[in-house]
Amino acid sequence: MTIKQISIQRYLPEQGSAPYWQEFDVPFDDSTSILDALNYVKEELDGSLSYRWSCRMAICGSCGVMVNNTPKLGCNSFLREYQGPVKIAPLAHFPVEKDLIIDMTLFLDHLAAVQPYLINDSGEGSDTFKQTPAQMEKYKQFSGCINCGLCYSACPQFGLNPEFLGPAALTLAHRYNLDSRDQGKKQRMPQMNREEGVWSCTFVGFCSEVCPKNVDPAAAVNQGKVESAKDMLIGIFKS
Amino acid sequence: MAKPTSYFPELKRDWWLKHSYFKKYMAREATVLPLVFFVACLLAGLYSLLQGMESWQGWLQFMQHPMVIALNALAFIASLFHAWTFFQLFPRVMPLRVAGRTLPPNLMVLGQWLGVVAVMVLATWIFLRGL
Amino acid sequence: MSNNTSDKMKRSDEPIWWGLFSAGGVCFAVFVPAAILFIALLIPAGIISTGAVSFERAQSMVFSLPGLIFIGVVICLPLFHAAHRIRHGLHDLKLGKERQNKIVTYGCAALISALALVGFVIGAL
Repeated sequence: MTIKQISIQRYLPEQGSAPYWQEFDVPFDDSTSILDALNYVKEELDGSLSYRWSCRMAICGSCGVMVNNTPKLGCNSFLREYQGPVKIAPLAHFPVEKDLIIDMTLFLDHLAAVQPYLINDSGEGSDTFKQTPAQMEKYKQFSGCINCGLCYSACPQFGLNPEFLGPAALTLAHRYNLDSRDQGKKQRMPQMNREEGVWSCTFVGFCSEVCPKNVDPAAAVNQGKVESAKDMLIGIFKS
Repeated sequence: MAKPTSYFPELKRDWWLKHSYFKKYMAREATVLPLVFFVACLLAGLYSLLQGMESWQGWLQFMQHPMVIALNALAFIASLFHAWTFFQLFPRVMPLRVAGRTLPPNLMVLGQWLGVVAVMVLATWIFLRGL
Repeated sequence: MSNNTSDKMKRSDEPIWWGLFSAGGVCFAVFVPAAILFIALLIPAGIISTGAVSFERAQSMVFSLPGLIFIGVVICLPLFHAAHRIRHGLHDLKLGKERQNKIVTYGCAALISALALVGFVIGAL
């Protein structure tokens, strides 16, 4: 096994207000993930290190960190991918509680704001809703989100303005708007039409690069712009 | 709300220098700067065309200045870089569905480049006819 | 709460600017490269004779219906495209105030477009 030096950004609010970098030597092979490295540090070198993790198979979405300024799932990226230095920091654009643990309240508030669930009061299909494969195809790409928050850390517009609803929330809104079983588009559009809805996006596109599930949030948000523009036109013709 | 004990780094205005992906984004956004120069040249040309023959000749000479040619060469490269990025975004923003199937993005990108070529051919015809 | 919510749910006027930006973006990508290549590179460099844009010929080309279309797709719409990107670029660089940036950038694009159209009308009459 070879040894790799990794730097981790530490922040211990009970000991001081400034974050600092700490170096650790971690043995690794081809199968060592960033999360494995963090676990090694906690178990063998410094038990005070704090970070979130659970499933270690890129489905729970809890081990997101910045690796060399790029948002990554710790379980899904490997030390072998990095030739030079490896710098691990908490996800960007969120308040940091301790070490690599961020406060995701803002993200969860934005998710809740777009009502990301089926809205259907028609009464029909009270047992099960029927949907054809073609109808499912329309939103399927946008339904793979695991709420890991990497796209928010990749989005400079969210970094510049935390009020921006952001990639994941707007993608989920679009995903449910596209769902043939859903009737909630009318309730979601006012959120999307806001300045801090789809219109804060400038199609940087980095959200789609970092998404571990290839959801392509940038495409969803910008399709949301088309929907919002249509919604405005319809509003003008109706009044 | 963030607890008072938490640490919330503010995004500084040089954020885009921290990652190569963001530098490319800023380059894309900056393509409009040489475009503005070219449009300003055209407006000067329109003005001189209204002023008369002598003024028009002066504008043609101005366009031959090495500095002006250099800036317009930059504008040309910028327009192609813009086209390259813009054409890739189009199929993602407005995926076209034909007979229940989404058109392959590469086909849409190719179609847009064919548009650029068609305009080039049209321009060749406009400027070279009767010469 | 309800007052606060309705204020927060204000519809953005961005679809108008985004529509102009998109139309201008298509023009910038499809029409502008050829315009720069011929008008600002090949003719000034002498590769195409300046006879192609002699005074009389330039007048008849510009002050005609194709000339009006040219002004629309190579001057006016690209200006709104540029204004939009400059405005968002200023926001990205944390420069100026959002409202003022909007007025200045789109205002300039509208004013210069209007001047170009006035110039066309004067020449065409």
